[in-house]
Amino acid sequence: MSTNSIALRLSGMFALVALLVFLLIGWALYLQVDKGLGLLPEAEVDARYSVLESAVQRYGTPEHWAKINAKLRLLSEEDKRLRFWVVSDNPTYEFGNPDAEIRAFAKGPLGMRDLNLSGHDYPFKVLVSQFPAKDQRPPLRFLTAVDTETFWQTQHSLLVALISLAAVGILLASALGYWVARIGLKPLTALSLEARKLTPPRLSGRLKLSQLPPELDQFVTSFNSTLDRVEQAYSRLESFNADVAHELRSPLTNLIGQTQVALTRGRSAEHYFEVLQSNLEELERLRSIINDMLFLASADQGSKATQLTQASLAQEVAKTLDYLDFILEDAQVQVEVRGDANAPIETAHLRRALINLLHNAVQHTSPGQLIHVDIRDEGDHVSIGVTNPGAPIAGEHLPKLFERFYRVDASRSNSGANHGLGLAIVKAIALMHGGTVFVRSEHGVNTFGINLPS
Amino acid sequence: MRVLIIEDEEKTADYLHRGLTEQGYTTDVAREGIEGLHMALESEYAVIILDVMLPGLDGYGVLRALRARKQTPVIMLTARENVDDRIRGLREGADDYLGKPFSFLELVARLQALTRRSGGHEPVQISVADLWIDLISRKATRAGLRLDLTAKEFSLLSVLARRQGEILSKTSIAEMVWDVNFDSDANVVEVAIKRLRAKLDGPFEQKLLHTIRGMGYVLESRRVD
Repeated sequence: MSTNSIALRLSGMFALVALLVFLLIGWALYLQVDKGLGLLPEAEVDARYSVLESAVQRYGTPEHWAKINAKLRLLSEEDKRLRFWVVSDNPTYEFGNPDAEIRAFAKGPLGMRDLNLSGHDYPFKVLVSQFPAKDQRPPLRFLTAVDTETFWQTQHSLLVALISLAAVGILLASALGYWVARIGLKPLTALSLEARKLTPPRLSGRLKLSQLPPELDQFVTSFNSTLDRVEQAYSRLESFNADVAHELRSPLTNLIGQTQVALTRGRSAEHYFEVLQSNLEELERLRSIINDMLFLASADQGSKATQLTQASLAQEVAKTLDYLDFILEDAQVQVEVRGDANAPIETAHLRRALINLLHNAVQHTSPGQLIHVDIRDEGDHVSIGVTNPGAPIAGEHLPKLFERFYRVDASRSNSGANHGLGLAIVKAIALMHGGTVFVRSEHGVNTFGINLPS
Repeated sequence: MRVLIIEDEEKTADYLHRGLTEQGYTTDVAREGIEGLHMALESEYAVIILDVMLPGLDGYGVLRALRARKQTPVIMLTARENVDDRIRGLREGADDYLGKPFSFLELVARLQALTRRSGGHEPVQISVADLWIDLISRKATRAGLRLDLTAKEFSLLSVLARRQGEILSKTSIAEMVWDVNFDSDANVVEVAIKRLRAKLDGPFEQKLLHTIRGMGYVLESRRVD
């Protein structure tokens, strides 16, 4: 399995999360317990001392001292952690055989102190207290001590337990995480198996949404819409090839037929002249189709408009209208330009798109009517819309009008130079500028236009 | 004027040879790159027409080797019309560039542009039969009668008159009059010619503006047979 495996990565992340959680909780727990444990020896010492304090203080006779001695011995035997030392000038009133080290310590300040005895790994917690002389008894230094070894050991074993628990927990979390991830990823595996079945030409199938967890909805929806586009492109490509063949076939048929007829018998020079001229017209038509197709192909391959200049679109429209002036006059159609905006354009390309848009509008406008060209600055883009009054276009045709060779009436009337690529070229030019095309048909007017990034 | 055609495609080479000879050029043909380069280096040519796809040494190779020694103007021909090819050709020192399929008239126009003598003065007045054109005052008369032309019609007439006797394709007319150098669905040139013809030839016996079907238009005085 590759290191990219989602299950492996998830289990790794589970382990990390577990590590973090155990560390935090363990650390807090340890601190809390440590604080508690640190107070325990002092509490113990205090408790022991308070029991003995009055007995020691009250009496000063040797008889009593012997009793106290016995009691102290008993206590230290009962609980091995406890130690008592009594230091004074008179050896009779002493306890615990204090050596020089203890004596030196006992002379130190009163109160709770730590005593490190040689030969002992852990310090004693010692309460040093003082009793004034009473009767025969000289003043005493009374040392109540408790060995902290057990506390330290408890703390140590707590730490060990915490660490080993955390380790086991982390291992468990990652193993369980891996297992859970595998189960959770099952729908994905199923999905990829299903997607594998959808290859051309079996593109009509779609991934089913209902059986899938909602998290995959978006992915499946976009996958399906990609499939939609691929299928559309695929079928468009097929029909495009058929259209190309058709468009090329009719001029070729004319060329071959006419030439054959002319050659079947001797003809006058005028007749040959006539045939050659007609052939030339057909050939020019072929050339123009091929050139347009090459232009579209280069746009398809992602060729971009490179020689961009910032230009006033109203001026470009005006130049185009100047070019189309005679055509407009012949068609008795007027054009009104509204608005202006600046955009970076490749002027020759844009001019071509404008000519095609306007020419398309003129062809569908009756004499005496008005065409509007609206130029708008829409912030992030500019739009040029060419609007002409005309019969409404059915909604099903609208998205396809910019496709190659698309004609609303299926009977393809092959009208001279107009070979059905004009609007496709407009779209290609928009794409080359990083823009889009749009078409609307409403309230008896039809609008074709392009949006260009500003 | 001597022209060298380096082209391996037989039909293309043949019609270029015939067509250019008829246009008054002396033409030599080479069928492959190394032979063409040899001829280009050995003889003096006014222009070389060079195909890109050639056996032996390709068009770019010929151009590079030629430019190392000579500055003869070169028009490159290619079937692959993409921008990279064009840029490469021009960078290697080609003077002009035509993508196949190209029109023969276009090629002749480019040839003339490359060989036109510099320093020649543009005429200020042109006459064709009884037509007089004054390019400075932008007035035209026929048989002494003022022709009422719009600015565009006058531009069209002067473009045709400057090249009288020469067939101009619709594409080159569109380029010279409107600066539009691509095919468009709109038959603007046809409509413009029709209007010009109505004013120029309509009221007169002798017709000056002729249509050459499939090729273009020519302004010339033809003797009535």
